Amino acid sequence: MRLYEFEAASLFRQEGVPVPDFAIADSPRQARQAAEKIGFPVVIKAQVLSGGRGLAGGVQTADSPEQAEAIAGRVLKSAIRGLPVNRVMVVPKAAVAREFYLGVTIDGVVGCPVVIMSTAGGVDIEETSRNHPEKVTSCQVPILSGLSLPQAEKMARKTGLTADESSRMADILHKLYNVFRKSEATIAEINPLALTTKGDYLALDAKMEIDDSALFRHPELKISPEDRIASPLEKKGRQIGVTYVELDGEVGIISTGAGLGMATMDIINQRYRPANFLETGGGISEELLYQVMELVMQKKGLKAVFINLLGGINPIHEGAKGIVRFLQSHPTDIPVFARVMGNRQEETRQILRGGGVEVVTDVATEQCMAHLFQRLGGGR
Amino acid sequence: MSILLDGKTRVLVQGITGRVGQAQTKWMLEYGTNIVAGVTPGKGGEEVEGVPVYNTVAQAVAERGAEASVFFVPPAAVKGAALETIDAGIRLIVVVTEHVPVHDAMEIKARAAGRGVWLLGPTSPGIITPGEAKMGIMPGNMFQPGRIGVISRSGTLAYEIGVDLAAAGLGQSTAIGMGADPAPFTSLSELLRLFDADPGTDLVITVGEVGGTQEEHAARFIAEKMTKPVVAYVAGHSVPEGKRMGHAGAIVHGEMGTTRSKISAFQKAGVDVAMYPVDVVKLVQKKLGKSFQTR
Repeated sequence: MRLYEFEAASLFRQEGVPVPDFAIADSPRQARQAAEKIGFPVVIKAQVLSGGRGLAGGVQTADSPEQAEAIAGRVLKSAIRGLPVNRVMVVPKAAVAREFYLGVTIDGVVGCPVVIMSTAGGVDIEETSRNHPEKVTSCQVPILSGLSLPQAEKMARKTGLTADESSRMADILHKLYNVFRKSEATIAEINPLALTTKGDYLALDAKMEIDDSALFRHPELKISPEDRIASPLEKKGRQIGVTYVELDGEVGIISTGAGLGMATMDIINQRYRPANFLETGGGISEELLYQVMELVMQKKGLKAVFINLLGGINPIHEGAKGIVRFLQSHPTDIPVFARVMGNRQEETRQILRGGGVEVVTDVATEQCMAHLFQRLGGGR
Repeated sequence: MSILLDGKTRVLVQGITGRVGQAQTKWMLEYGTNIVAGVTPGKGGEEVEGVPVYNTVAQAVAERGAEASVFFVPPAAVKGAALETIDAGIRLIVVVTEHVPVHDAMEIKARAAGRGVWLLGPTSPGIITPGEAKMGIMPGNMFQPGRIGVISRSGTLAYEIGVDLAAAGLGQSTAIGMGADPAPFTSLSELLRLFDADPGTDLVITVGEVGGTQEEHAARFIAEKMTKPVVAYVAGHSVPEGKRMGHAGAIVHGEMGTTRSKISAFQKAGVDVAMYPVDVVKLVQKKLGKSFQTR
């Protein structure tokens, strides 16, 4: 779950990472008052869960109370990458001498945290590591002992910093690593970390993602994942306990697994476009699939639904009863196809056939999908 | 032949008294798995499907000689159970549980290092050596004995590829679900190395998906070390950037984790890449040619 910048900045501050004084405003008037308190010039930053804010006009400098109010008014009415801006952050504008990058993330192949440092801050770290590998250094951290200060200092020296600079940088990286561990983050990033003309280090941005699977033991973060989902259909999916991703096509997908769901999307994409991605995970019940049908059928412009049921952990015969119950109480002209294999496949197929679902019994998903394509005709 | 699991392996089921544990124990026994014990703390002395239940892993090892364990344990309890199981000297641990905190997974992996134990998961569908035994939730009727190794990040895609192969008469030596989380216990390269050393495997299929860099690292291993042919499939080329597709690990950030990056890494390593599941069968047939024996 991604955090807003101001949330990440608060966590950074708690651990001693230097962050500028900031205020949060949800109205132009509040922004103006905050700016007057902080002193000019200030930077007004849109708070949205997306990158690319600067390019989208979501980060602007104000030199006066009037300007602060006007900018906040515009930004608060805007949307960035489709996400409405409900809050702005007001911070003093820093006089920057140099910019760095500090980050902590997970090396998924080695299975340990990795800390990353770069002398080229403020730009995309992936791009820097491709084009200027000499400016980026990274280091795997043994999770049981954690990141040591000498290890962090050694890294900083590798980027060409002086001994004094390295020790200050190492101290901040060490604190950032602690934030990452304490909040069970998957990413904690400062980009840029500025060295001001006065010689202070300041985190001018704060990015964090928290592991969704660990949120249950972090009530102190006060995060409700549902509040961060913009699409009502996606929110509904979260509430009933499935992954629903809204897309802009015409063929609905219900899949018993994520990998299978992605493969099904790819196949639909040959001729049509998926209207959604939906995977049930391992908790199928009659009630769940009733609700899943209700959710998928709500999407506007739907022309057909493809249900891909593989019985492994899931009692798919129970799920089939839910699908049929939905279709009986909500008759529809939209054709519903199902492909069923695995544990209890025959029983499941029979239940679905009895409820008006077109059960396709070819082996591979692609062969089964051909029936749906044929029904819809053409495609692209 | 097979890797990690065969019909003689003495299997323990942790979380055996739960709803899923009970149901899956039945399926595993019916398939022929040699399940010798179950563990649920506080339920020692009970029986599930005729399998004796113990309170601790150490008891199950001492009294029943358990050597491999499959987990149907709730996410928050996985770390404690895994550390107990590693300490008891079990050599293969399969974590089926979804939503295990990733920091816990990293700690488990670190604690297992150098202890001679293989871990699969989290979010693994398990491991199946067709015709002999299965640990986990894979449906037995979608696999068939043979000489092809399968490694999949996704459970359901492992079944899809398994059944497509079986329909073409291509059986499997062992099929493994390595897990769909951001930091799986065992990397794709490590599992490829096991299949490369298995005399019962002629070719290995890797079933990947968007997100992470497992495939890119494996491509390097294949180019440098692998002696057997590899066919790869990568799902999710129609997945838009920044959208997480169910699996915690399946998300594209910029160029990182795209199917494009994975396919190009594989192709540079001389691996044939399928764009859709059915193409996997065609590529395998092409690679093995006519000399291939299906059994």
